Amino acid sequence: MISKSLAIIVLNKALETGADYAEIFYENSSGNGLTIENGKVSTSSSGITSGVGLRLLKENRCVYGYTSDLSKKGLLSLADSLNKSFNGDRLITVTKLDMIKGKNRNPITKSYKEFSLEDRIALVKEGTEEIASLNDPRIVRYIGSFISNHRSVAVFNSKGKWFKRDTEFARLFYSVVTMDENGMETGFEAPGCQQDVSFFYNKVHAREIAKKAAEVALINLNAKECPSGKMPVIIGNGWGGVLFHEACGHALEASSVSKGLSCFSGKQGQQIASPLVTALDDSTIPGEWGSIDIDDEGNFGTKRVLIKDGILMDFMIDDFNGRRMNREGNGSCRRQNYKYCPTSRMSNTYIANGKSTKEEIIAATKLGLYCVGFNGGSVNPATGEFNFGASEAYIVRDGKICEPVKGATLIGKGEEILKNIDMVGNDCAFGQGMCGASSGSIRTNVGQPTIRVKEITVGGRGGELK
Amino acid sequence: MKYDKLFSLAKERGIDQIELAVSTSKDLSFSLFHGEVDSYNSSNSSSYMIRGIYNGKLGSVSSDVYSNDLVEYFINEIINNAKFIENDDPVFIYKGSEKYKKINTYNKDLEKISVDEKLAKLHELEDKIKAIDSRIVEIESVEYSESVSSETIINSNGLKLSQKNNYFFIYGAALAKEGEQTKSGGDYRLGNDFSKLNIDELAKDIADDTLNQLGGEPCQSGAYKAVLGPQVVKALLNAYISSAIAEDVQKNSSLFVGKLGQKVASRHITVEDKPLARTIFARYFDDEGVATYNKAIIKNGVLQTYLYNLTTAAKDGVESTGNAQGAGSKVYTGTWYTEMKPGKKSQEELFKEVGEGVYITEVQGLHAGLNPRSGNFSLQSTGFLIKDGKKDRPLDIITVSGNLVSLFNDVTAVGNDSRESIGGKFPSVIVKKINVGGK
Repeated sequence: MISKSLAIIVLNKALETGADYAEIFYENSSGNGLTIENGKVSTSSSGITSGVGLRLLKENRCVYGYTSDLSKKGLLSLADSLNKSFNGDRLITVTKLDMIKGKNRNPITKSYKEFSLEDRIALVKEGTEEIASLNDPRIVRYIGSFISNHRSVAVFNSKGKWFKRDTEFARLFYSVVTMDENGMETGFEAPGCQQDVSFFYNKVHAREIAKKAAEVALINLNAKECPSGKMPVIIGNGWGGVLFHEACGHALEASSVSKGLSCFSGKQGQQIASPLVTALDDSTIPGEWGSIDIDDEGNFGTKRVLIKDGILMDFMIDDFNGRRMNREGNGSCRRQNYKYCPTSRMSNTYIANGKSTKEEIIAATKLGLYCVGFNGGSVNPATGEFNFGASEAYIVRDGKICEPVKGATLIGKGEEILKNIDMVGNDCAFGQGMCGASSGSIRTNVGQPTIRVKEITVGGRGGELK
Repeated sequence: MKYDKLFSLAKERGIDQIELAVSTSKDLSFSLFHGEVDSYNSSNSSSYMIRGIYNGKLGSVSSDVYSNDLVEYFINEIINNAKFIENDDPVFIYKGSEKYKKINTYNKDLEKISVDEKLAKLHELEDKIKAIDSRIVEIESVEYSESVSSETIINSNGLKLSQKNNYFFIYGAALAKEGEQTKSGGDYRLGNDFSKLNIDELAKDIADDTLNQLGGEPCQSGAYKAVLGPQVVKALLNAYISSAIAEDVQKNSSLFVGKLGQKVASRHITVEDKPLARTIFARYFDDEGVATYNKAIIKNGVLQTYLYNLTTAAKDGVESTGNAQGAGSKVYTGTWYTEMKPGKKSQEELFKEVGEGVYITEVQGLHAGLNPRSGNFSLQSTGFLIKDGKKDRPLDIITVSGNLVSLFNDVTAVGNDSRESIGGKFPSVIVKKINVGGK
């Protein structure tokens, strides 16, 4: 940790040449990871991430640097090298730092530091033993792992504010590889949280998730190739939210919106989605995977309605990009660690519940695709062109779920997909993911109820949908 | 010596062999938006990976910081982690290869060029892209970055190796608009010889990449004969040769199980791993300290070798191929610089040979749409129709799908248009059939 008095000295050094804002981000994180492969502990590791990032702003310019040398000399030398980017007179002098006060919404109740390696191994093995007990010769390889991380962060800025936060997250993974004479398939499940370890015993169950990973890998062995072309697609709840995350969420981040580089720039107040769609980004849900209590520039997390009844309401905004939009940050400023300059990012992003049941949506579909599991995807925010892959999918015929298909990739333009959503279910759930962008890889939740899109381009190897 | 305490405490606590890998990196990057520097990043950082063998098991710990105060923590973590390892894979702290072929990957001239001169190039790039065509409505970003980095391995078996390298990367992305359609494109240059940087050429490539996509629409879904461009060959072939990683073969989860010495691709395909090629990616020792060497992975379609680290090599009773990467609690395996042997035909000749089909220039979303274990892929793509033996209109909102095994067995010709990009060099190829999802 660096002291308040040292922080003031470093901030003032940084501000010497006319920056209008300076900010110190201190981080000391420690993590542990464990892997159990085919029933045996194969790796166990520990690590420390520790350093300081220094950000200087002047109007629309951002200067960032970092160092793992936390000595006074190291920090002053960083401030000195960064302030050379400006050549004006000092605008601001920091004389005192007041603590930003507020209730911590994601407090550590019982630290993972007290969750022993023996107990971690026992937890992961519950799942791997479940996979072994299936005794299916088609399962050729199965891996279980558990990671946990304790992160201590402190931010000091030239507005005379500072705060510190300790947070923890943990995640349990299972992946299974299956093989038969026709080839090889995989299945994967990975729930995570910012809650104490009771989450992994009470809210999710190692045996069930491990079994689910194995089932998907086994189902896909018998799955036919997914057909290709344009077709109605039902997207399952939870992880299905990756569609909204890619097709729309990224393009609502101030990093692209503020520069007019997003397909949604300047469209606030306009109908950008079907009236059935209401979407939110809510970082205030206690203990959720993507929640943040306070963001990396000291703004508290908020619940933002991004789209209401199809009308574009708001964006994910950080203070810096907000400058181009004449807006204050709304608690969206995040980064992977001190090596990344922070920017506006998503937290827990989801489509809100509608009125239909999942059963009604399926029953109303004559011929289409039902995607349940997903591998992730990517997007170009400027054009809105996105893609994402389905890991578990079925053909729907005459309102009934029929044969499984594999290898489906869904592509399209966010703007078009949002308008084509014609049914929204009432079974909203979350899925945990890691989202990569310019400020690194961060924890985000995707989420939605079951929804139907009138028409999406599907890529697969199975020819025409019949 | 700086690390004496680590080595002596390890010995005292019963860690038989210990190794420290230190990476340092000094980075600088800046970007322009509308003619102004909108971001400027500068950093200096280190990372330490410490691995030790305790009771025959490997334990490890990593850190961004190193001090004598932390040595106690490092040693405790190594022992604690090693204690719980149950698998019986042989583990190694390497004694050293007989010979190392050092190559220079550091160009001192790059650091002598002033920031102002580099910034001037970036301004020039931004202006030149804009001037090429009025349909270019916005320059999304132009960025310059450079990095000086070093890798050092020191271990208790007397091994001490180190390598320093540097490079620069310059990138531009533009938006073009025609009617209601907006398209985004970009290109980059990478190297460590600043004098070879040609801004006119780069600006033209960025503009072309963007403008060429305008006017695109999907084609009919179906199977097409295709030319795959260098970027596509790189993405798909790299995924395919990852099947040569010995650990996956040993664990029966690779497409190349039992395929050594057998045909895995069309005879037109020869692909090598070339860590010692004179590129900025060159590495003369791998992450376990084993000397690297150039080798064919696939030669005329036949699989020549699996890719090994020390552990997987010992299990197969062979020598490591010098492909260890990311040596921490687990040592991974990977290629350093992959190069596919070019053919004799120009791109135009490839189009002519295809007659009617598609030319795929880019695939996206590999982490979601490609399964290297099954070889199945279905990917968002961009490209062009090929009509009457010539490149025709652009294609928009399409996917290509197939299986890597059949795709690379279906290659009928290779172009002479090799292009170097990050980590490798690949030409275009013709494939007999690829499925396109469109209208």
